[in-house]
Amino acid sequence: MQTFSQLVMLCAGGMLVTALIPLWRKGVPAYISAFKWQSWLLAVLTTLVGYFGRDPQLYGVAILIVGLKGVAMPALLRTMDRRFGHQRELRPYVNPETALLMAGVLVLFAYVLARPWMEVTTLPTRAGLPLAMALLFISLLILVNRKKAITQVIGFLMLENAIALLAVVGTYGVPLLVELGVFLDALMGFLVMQIFVYQIHETFETIDVDQLTRLKH
Amino acid sequence: MLFALLLLPPLVSSVLPAVVRRHGRALGWVNVAGASLSLAASAGLSASVVTGADAPAAPGALLAADALSALLAVCIALVTLLAVALGPGLADDDPHDATAVRRYRIFLNALALTMLVAVTTTSVALMWVAIEATTIASAIIIPLERTKASVEASWKYLLICSVGIALAFAGTVLAYFDFVSTTGPLPSALDWTVLRAAAPALRPELMRLAFAFILVGYGTKAGLAPMHTWLPDAHSEAPAPLSAMMSGVLLAVAMYAIARWKSVVDASLGPSFTNTLLMTAGLLSVVIGTFSLVIQRHYKRMLAYSSVEHIGLATIGLALGPLGVFAAFLHLVNHAVAKSMAFLLAGRVLERYRTSEIAGVSGLLRAMPWTGGLFGVAVLTLVGLPPFGLFLSEFLLVRAAVVTGQFFVAGAVLALLVVAFASLLNHLNHMLYGQVPDGVAVGERRGWPTVTLAGCAGLLVMLGVVLPWPVTALLDRAVSVLTP
Repeated sequence: MQTFSQLVMLCAGGMLVTALIPLWRKGVPAYISAFKWQSWLLAVLTTLVGYFGRDPQLYGVAILIVGLKGVAMPALLRTMDRRFGHQRELRPYVNPETALLMAGVLVLFAYVLARPWMEVTTLPTRAGLPLAMALLFISLLILVNRKKAITQVIGFLMLENAIALLAVVGTYGVPLLVELGVFLDALMGFLVMQIFVYQIHETFETIDVDQLTRLKH
Repeated sequence: MLFALLLLPPLVSSVLPAVVRRHGRALGWVNVAGASLSLAASAGLSASVVTGADAPAAPGALLAADALSALLAVCIALVTLLAVALGPGLADDDPHDATAVRRYRIFLNALALTMLVAVTTTSVALMWVAIEATTIASAIIIPLERTKASVEASWKYLLICSVGIALAFAGTVLAYFDFVSTTGPLPSALDWTVLRAAAPALRPELMRLAFAFILVGYGTKAGLAPMHTWLPDAHSEAPAPLSAMMSGVLLAVAMYAIARWKSVVDASLGPSFTNTLLMTAGLLSVVIGTFSLVIQRHYKRMLAYSSVEHIGLATIGLALGPLGVFAAFLHLVNHAVAKSMAFLLAGRVLERYRTSEIAGVSGLLRAMPWTGGLFGVAVLTLVGLPPFGLFLSEFLLVRAAVVTGQFFVAGAVLALLVVAFASLLNHLNHMLYGQVPDGVAVGERRGWPTVTLAGCAGLLVMLGVVLPWPVTALLDRAVSVLTP
């Protein structure tokens, strides 16, 4: 059990680190591979929980995560990026130093917020709970800080990973039917977002959402 | 059986246009027939709930309907029927091309299906899955005619609501985590009757956090301030019948999710925590909705902000105990009919005048006597004038505030309603009277679409004057479901 909780911590910690990359690196390819590694770590963690928690259903979920978020979505994101890659990324609203500092504060906040839950549960995975919350807050930070539509999509995908992490460390996964529904929504949502990124590109000739200011009041 | 009749028609109507590429008009009528069937099934569900003929849902059943579900299902089916019958593809002088009509039918029916599933499923997590799917289905047909403004509006809508709804899922997971750590894993733990039965044993500090996430999440979808920023854009840029669906019932579905969760969390914490949060969000929404009405220059945005105001009123109602819950859901029913009617009429005005600015529309009563008159009726309903339904529900709401001793709330609501009244009437006045601008055709034929919309007005009068017995019985039972 000791090994189990350490491995879980390792994976969850790794996922958190990958979420920091979009805050300071420049260039969408770096964000895409960060998201890819994050998804692979999530899949590994899900497999671990499935093995130690003796829940074979989670193996299936891990395979879905790898197929969808580890392979398919990064590939689609890369195609999208090749189309719009020549476009210069505008400066984020907050500079990288401040953003990293804010991320640190958010991690602390997540630990404070998650303290009462640690007493509720005796699960060996409970140390992952504050990390899941921290990942959730940092994904939100990425979402509001970036101006390119494709980066916002990546932020949203990381937010989904955060919630999947929360579910797997907190409850050993939600029931399978729900899990499948969530995957279906994630896939459809991603595809529709992709359509809209192309539409924004065609109608505005940029995917810089700063230009979307037609509607006020 | 009733569930199949309720859910299959929108499913079939959504798949058919994707497969059959021709016979657009015939498909449209098939769609109308399906939507009518769905409405009949929802009425059947309500009847079986009211007469108490239905057995309680078997544990593990995925679909079940109590009074609240049935009430929402009737609203959804009714507005879907309106949106299908008066939507693109059926009118004699329809400006849409065949591809647009097909896309509209596929996704509008998908939207109807997901909403119906959301209100009839027993599992809080599947309800979440369905509500998330509503965002996807509706966002994709907002730019039915692609303009910069509509693409921008749908991107904003898709992103903000997806993030919001993701937070609601985090809240759902937290509540499930609480349940699993207290009572151990159970396959039916996400069934909300099971959750509520277990709620008194759950940890209050976790439930508090879970509800905060859920309120922010579903509140975003419901257009509660300060998460409402996407709403005026999406509702004003969407094609009129989709606006009717989104404003009339999609907001109500999100309110339904909040109300369900409130009853679970209240069983754990007592009502004061959720009441405070809902009251704050509700009052803020009414304030923002009302004052945005004053400065509006576009009539569809005016209707959208009026939705923010009305959703705010319903949220306040949820925080006012059983009387308030009764008023809130009556308000949502009235709002569903009135706002759908208003948006559908606004779409006709836009088609004729080719401008969405209030300043560009004048002499509506002369140019389009039927549309203008009915639009006037719809707006008068929305400001809460008797004899229409919203007067009654607003009156009941204020009464609930007075009865529970919240005089400040009652006073604030009344003052804000007066402001909304004055500004909406001012805008309406400008649109209905005056000279018809040059280049706008005068006169209109009275066809079945006009008769249908006049039927909505009749329905609103009926809800305001007699408040028929089946509606009150359904509402009474819905209240007792939520506040046992």
